[in-house]
Amino acid sequence: MKESLMEIVCCPMDKHDLELDADERDDGEIISGTLTCTDCGESYPIEDGIPNLLPPDMRDGA
Amino acid sequence: MGVLEDKARARTFYKYLSRVYDTVNPLVWNEEMRDEALSRTGIEGGDRVLDVGCGTGFGTEGLLQYTDDVHGLDQSVHQLEKAWAKFGKTDRVKFYRGDAERLPFAADSFDHYWSSGSIEYWPNPVDAIEEARRVTKPGGTVLIVGPDEPSNSLFHRIADAIMLFYDADEADRMFSEAGFPEREHVVMQANPGSPRAIVTIATVPEE
Repeated sequence: MKESLMEIVCCPMDKHDLELDADERDDGEIISGTLTCTDCGESYPIEDGIPNLLPPDMRDGA
Repeated sequence: MGVLEDKARARTFYKYLSRVYDTVNPLVWNEEMRDEALSRTGIEGGDRVLDVGCGTGFGTEGLLQYTDDVHGLDQSVHQLEKAWAKFGKTDRVKFYRGDAERLPFAADSFDHYWSSGSIEYWPNPVDAIEEARRVTKPGGTVLIVGPDEPSNSLFHRIADAIMLFYDADEADRMFSEAGFPEREHVVMQANPGSPRAIVTIATVPEE
């Protein structure tokens, strides 16, 4: 995902801002990392360039 | 409400659905119908548009004819893989995994909202329509396409077991409840005898 999308993404649960912790970047894209809610602390992974913003109860294996 | 109320079951269902989706779908929802629906949205070049339940990317492809700023959201990676094959993963379209009823976007993030062929799998459609209103700017269009109530009773029984069907009255009730005073419903059909699609076009009210 592009870092500019931080302006519109939010926590799906409480709609608060997310904080980006990027592990891998490539040509302006965040390839892997974590988005953490600044309010509830829930974290959402960025996997292979795609942010997984599914609520925790809908994640694979949930 | 069908068996897809259970979200884990919905995931399994999608995994298999994605294998046949682009083959079965044109019988119910074809390019001509999609383009007719698109012409009613008021999307202009440069507008930021969200495609909820973008799936294999059939609607996404139509939206790209109008604007370059298209954002696709889906819960299923199996469906998204088909879309990624068409548009690339991080190229023309911004993709997210997410839930229609709990959108991961700030209020007023998008100029318009589009969702085709997804509402029938939403356990609580009104919640998702309220979310559509929240993330779309006032004056923007929310367009949702779903299956019209089938008249054939055998198909009806099979269909009702797995998904939601609704008619214009029910669509009107859902959009009213979700806070859209301005809304219209259009029933479209690919061929005589094929299942009909119902298209609702609603305008986000000024707060």
